[in-house]
Amino acid sequence: MNASTGEADVVLSRVRKSFGAVVAVDDVSLSIARGSIVSLLGPSGCGKTTTLRLVAGFERPDAGEVSIRGARVNDVPPYRRDFGMVFQSYALFPHLTVADNVGFGLRMRHVPREERRRLVAEALALVKLEGFADRQPRQLSGGQQQRVALARAIVFKPAVLLLDEPLGALDKMLREEMQVELRQLQQRLAITTVFVTHDQEEALTLSDRVAVMRGGRIEQVGAPREIYERPATEFVAGFLGASNFLDAEVAEPGRVRVGGAGFDVPGAAGVPGTRLRLAVRPERVVLSPDGGEGLEATLRDVIFRGSTVHFYLESAIGPLLAYRQNEDGGDRGLRPGQRVRCSWSPGSAVVVAPLGDATR
Amino acid sequence: MSARGRLFGWGILLVPLAVSVALFVGPLAQLFMISLREPSSTELYGTGWTLANYTQLAEDDFIARIVWRTMWTSFLVLGCALAIGYPVAWRIARMPPRKRSLVLLALLFPLMVSNVVRAYGWVAILGRRGVVNTTLQQAGVIDFPMALLFTPEAVVMGLLTILLPYMVISIANALATLDPRYEEAAASLGAGPIRSFIHVVFPLSAPGVASGALLVFLLTLSAYVTITLLGGPRSKLLVSLVYDSVVAFQWPQAAALAFVLLALALATCGLILAVLRPGRVQGGAR
Ligand SMILES: Nc1ncnc2c1ncn2[C@@H]1O[C@H](COP(=O)(O)OP(=O)(O)O)[C@@H](O)[C@H]1O
Ligand SMILES: [Mg+2]
Repeated sequence: MNASTGEADVVLSRVRKSFGAVVAVDDVSLSIARGSIVSLLGPSGCGKTTTLRLVAGFERPDAGEVSIRGARVNDVPPYRRDFGMVFQSYALFPHLTVADNVGFGLRMRHVPREERRRLVAEALALVKLEGFADRQPRQLSGGQQQRVALARAIVFKPAVLLLDEPLGALDKMLREEMQVELRQLQQRLAITTVFVTHDQEEALTLSDRVAVMRGGRIEQVGAPREIYERPATEFVAGFLGASNFLDAEVAEPGRVRVGGAGFDVPGAAGVPGTRLRLAVRPERVVLSPDGGEGLEATLRDVIFRGSTVHFYLESAIGPLLAYRQNEDGGDRGLRPGQRVRCSWSPGSAVVVAPLGDATR
Repeated sequence: MSARGRLFGWGILLVPLAVSVALFVGPLAQLFMISLREPSSTELYGTGWTLANYTQLAEDDFIARIVWRTMWTSFLVLGCALAIGYPVAWRIARMPPRKRSLVLLALLFPLMVSNVVRAYGWVAILGRRGVVNTTLQQAGVIDFPMALLFTPEAVVMGLLTILLPYMVISIANALATLDPRYEEAAASLGAGPIRSFIHVVFPLSAPGVASGALLVFLLTLSAYVTITLLGGPRSKLLVSLVYDSVVAFQWPQAAALAFVLLALALATCGLILAVLRPGRVQGGAR
C-alpha cells in the first residue's frame, strides 16, 4: 500500500508527540511518494496540524523519525528543511508588498534580484495574480491573500509543500474553485504535498491518498475511492460521509443475516454466529415493494434535496437511510408509512471494525 | 460608514474636542503671540510686535550649544533605552502570559516613586561624598572624589532609569502580541533566527518601538527635575532655559524658547516615525 521508500519525499515512522498529558500524535507512520498529494483528514483536535508541524520542524517528535528526501531531519531546524508552507491564517508579512512576500524565500536563498523578479512574476501568474505585485496584503481579498500565500510557498520550488486548512477561511463557492485549481497546480508542478483538512469532500477532491486520523493516530490510509468504498473502520466510514451501520451475524462464510434477511457479503468471514458490523452507503440501498427479498422497513420520511432524494426508514434493526438520484423529479410514488424492502448488491456492504476498538 | 454613523462619531468627539481646544490649542496660540511680543521691564510682556525673540536665539552661541546638548542627550537616552530595552522586552515577551504580566507589573513599580526622590537617590550614590566615591576612597582606588554628579553621564543615567520601563513595556507588548506564525512563515521560507529578526520580527514590532521611542524622547525633552538635580548648573538643557527665563520674567523669550523646543520635538517625532514606519504594519495577520 505504501509507495516504495526509495521515491518517498516525506517519511514519518512511528512518530509520537505529546503536549503535557495530551498525546497529540501517537505512533504515526506515513510515507508520501514524490510528486503526490496526501491529505491528513480528521475531526478537529485529532492531531493533523501537529503532524504537519512535525514535518516542518516547528515541533520536535518525542519518539520516532521524520525524513525528508531520504535524510533524517529530527535535528534539522525548520529553516534548513526544504519546504514551503501555507498557514491557515496565511501569515503574509503585512509590512511587505505582494512581490516582496512572494520573493522572500528567494531572497533568503540569495537569488539575484533580476532572477527573483522573473520568478516572482512567474509564480504570481501561476496563481492568476498578475498585476498585484505592488499591493499590500491588506488590500487583497481573502481568496487573493490565499493565492499570494500559495505563490510564496512554491516559488522557490521546495521539496515539500505543506498546507494547513488553506481553504478553510474561504466561502463555499470559492473553496470548491480553489480545490480544483490547487489540484491542477500541484499536478503541473509535481510537487510533493501534504494537505490538512477536516472536510472529507475536499480531501476526496484533492488527494492522491488520504490518511484519516482519529485521536492522534492514523486510522486508515488509501486512495480516495478506496477509503470511501472500503473503509476499514466504522469511524472512517462515518467520517467520509453518511453510512448505515448494521449489526450482522455470519450465516456461512460470505453470507450474513441482518434483521431476519440474508445478504451476500464477500468479506464476511468466521464461524456461523460470529457478530459483525456492516457499513452500507445510503446511495447503495435499493428500495423495492414489500413482499420481495431484503430487509423489511417502514418509510418514515421523504426529503427532497434537489439533485437527490433522501428516504428515512425504520427497520427491525434500527433506522436506515437511502439516497436516490433525482432522475424523474419525484419520489417514485413512495409515501411515508409505506412498507418497503431494502437491499443492496453484494459488494456494497463492507465489514468494518466497530467504533471503540480501532483495529490497526 | 453611514452618514448617521459618521455623525455619531463626530458627536462622540465633540466634548473632548472642545476641552482640548479650550485647554491646549487656545493657550498654545496665546503662548505663540507672547513669543512675538517685545519684552517689557514693567509688564510680563510689552505691547509691540517683534521677531527679535527668535532671531536673538538664532544668533546666540550659548543657546546653540544647549540645543545641541539637548538633542545629543535625548538621542543618547533614546539609543541606550532602545539598546537595553529591546532585548529585555524580547525576553519578557517570550515568558508565559501569567509570568509576563507579573514582570510588566514589577516594571511599573519604580514609576510609583516620585522623580524627585529617585533623583536624590542618584545624588546619594554619585555625589562627592556619595556611596561610589567613599567606597573607592576607602578601598584606596582613588585619592580624591571623582566628579560623577553634575555630568551629562549622570543625567543620561538618571533619565534612563526612569524612562527604560516605558520602552520595555511598549516593545514587550508589541512582541507578545506578534503572531508566532510570522516567525514560522519566515523559517519556512529559509530565514534563520537572525534574518527572521531583521526582516520580520523587528519591522513587525515597529509600532511598539515607535511608541516607546516617542515616549522616551518626549519625556527626556520635558524632564526638568532629573536634569536639574543630576546635571547641575553646567549641564543645562533647553527646559532649564525656559524655566530660567520664566523666573527672570523674560516671558517673550521663554515663549520663544518653548516654541524652539516644540519644533525640535515635532521634527524628531517626524524623524522617528519616518524611520520606523509603524503604519505599514497595521492590518494584522489576515
Ligand atoms: N502547542 C500545544 N500545546 C498544547 N496542546 C497542544 C498544542 N498543539 C496542539 N495541542 C493539542 O494536541 C491535540 C491535537 O491538536 P492539533 O494537531 O492542532 O489538531 P488538529 O489540527 O487536528 O485540529 C489537541 O488536543 C490540541 O489541544
Ligand atoms: Mg489544525
